[in-house]
Amino acid sequence: MESTSTTALADLVRRAQKGEENAQRELIVAYQHRVAGFVYAMTNRSDYVEDLSQQVFIKMVRAIDRLQAPAQFESWLFRLARNTCIDQLRRQKLRRIFLPFGEEHENIPEPPGAVDTEELDALRHALAQLRPQDRALLALVQEGRSHAEIAQTLDTTVAAVKARLHRAREHLREHYQPNHEN
Amino acid sequence: MKTEDQAWRDLQAHAAAQLRTGFADRALRVARGPEHATWRELNAHASRQLRPGFAERVLRAARAATEVPSLSSQFALSAATAIVCLAAVVFMQDRSAQQADERNLADWQRIVLGAQESQDIDSI
Repeated sequence: MESTSTTALADLVRRAQKGEENAQRELIVAYQHRVAGFVYAMTNRSDYVEDLSQQVFIKMVRAIDRLQAPAQFESWLFRLARNTCIDQLRRQKLRRIFLPFGEEHENIPEPPGAVDTEELDALRHALAQLRPQDRALLALVQEGRSHAEIAQTLDTTVAAVKARLHRAREHLREHYQPNHEN
Repeated sequence: MKTEDQAWRDLQAHAAAQLRTGFADRALRVARGPEHATWRELNAHASRQLRPGFAERVLRAARAATEVPSLSSQFALSAATAIVCLAAVVFMQDRSAQQADERNLADWQRIVLGAQESQDIDSI
């Protein structure tokens, strides 16, 4: 079953690589929710989701013909998503250096309760306390990526992924307080 | 007068009254960390930020992006324009220098002819 879906995905990617617009559209529709979730987990900003997700998929459409192994499409796509988010966070940091605005004007927190439940608010709050690299790691795990795939996505070793994941989970648990006062 | 046991029970009751309802569940949730359902909620919230027609917008933007000339082609066009301008300047410079030479030569020839004529007159 798993191998059938992998083969189907590889076929879809190959068609997209040949420039078939329907295949490209299918890929976007299939992955847009997952990429949006990943972008949100990384940036913690609802207003960035559409824009950054769009950037990720534009990069995908433009660079897919250079993807060597269609079977590794997912790792590749999430690497694009991670790099796009990290670039955005870097730009945001630079803007804060050069523009005379305080951080509070740049990083507008979503009001408590704006995102559904207490648990979700708590998860957002906890993620906001982590480094972007750790957020990416946790979001990739939630994506169902294996340690090996994550290592490939982040250009590191499986052992490093395990160690960093352990620390990231510890930090997340430290800051995860569903009943915290906002 | 209250016994010591009674005092402890009162203290416990007072402390327990400070805990909001659902304390045990909350404590368990914190201990376990965010559950998969919470991550799913996060994804669902993020998905709701994508406006309908997202895929179409991406494909349109990607097409528009490919229609915009690449940086290398823009550079090549700038270089070609600069070369053409330089060639035009060199050509114009060369031509005006050539015209000046011709003018000078004609003037000299006139002077030489004039000098020869006056020499011929002197010899007569």
